[in-house]
Amino acid sequence: MKNTIKVERAKKDMTQQDLAEKVQVSRQTINSIEAGKYVPSTVLALKIARVFEVGLESIFELEVGD
Amino acid sequence: MKKNSILEVPLLHPGWKKLAYVFFPLPVFLVIGIAFWNPKTDPNETVQIIYGFWAMAFMILNLSREEVEDEMIRQFRQQAFQTGFFWLIWGLAALMLINYLRFDRITSELFTAYLVLFLLNGYIYAAFQYQKYIANKEEN
Repeated sequence: MKNTIKVERAKKDMTQQDLAEKVQVSRQTINSIEAGKYVPSTVLALKIARVFEVGLESIFELEVGD
Repeated sequence: MKKNSILEVPLLHPGWKKLAYVFFPLPVFLVIGIAFWNPKTDPNETVQIIYGFWAMAFMILNLSREEVEDEMIRQFRQQAFQTGFFWLIWGLAALMLINYLRFDRITSELFTAYLVLFLLNGYIYAAFQYQKYIANKEEN
């Protein structure tokens, strides 16, 4: 699953640490999600979407093989 | 989904990790002490003491909370327990095979509860640390 968290962060001038604090996870978790190494739970994905004030599907997108 | 409380595993405070780090060198000194105190001690017994202490050390490390205990860490821990158990089964099978090829028997005095606990907890720890290493590698 690919995502646009990095782009959304840049739009809001937000660091990984800022986002991590807002959704109550570690910075490493945000880094792993951005790098596509970790797929977040629905709850965490919804929290991230809420921080950026966008819909879930505009951040996360399924890839071939998912 | 709320987890059933009977399935909840309370984790130790991270401060317990210090005790675990003491448990790694401690049995070595203990065994040296025992050897001086009673030179007729069975060498197999001393090995079991070391396995026992190391098993406890790894067990404490495996059951201690991380600094930030989020969903990724919880998933890593669950995967580590599953992978550790898988490695234990195949590791023991390999040891049995080696034992069979060398001594023509599958069982051995080598397979004690202390050894199995040490290997299981060691594998779980390795699997957990490996996942954390992969997650932290190639930081953006």
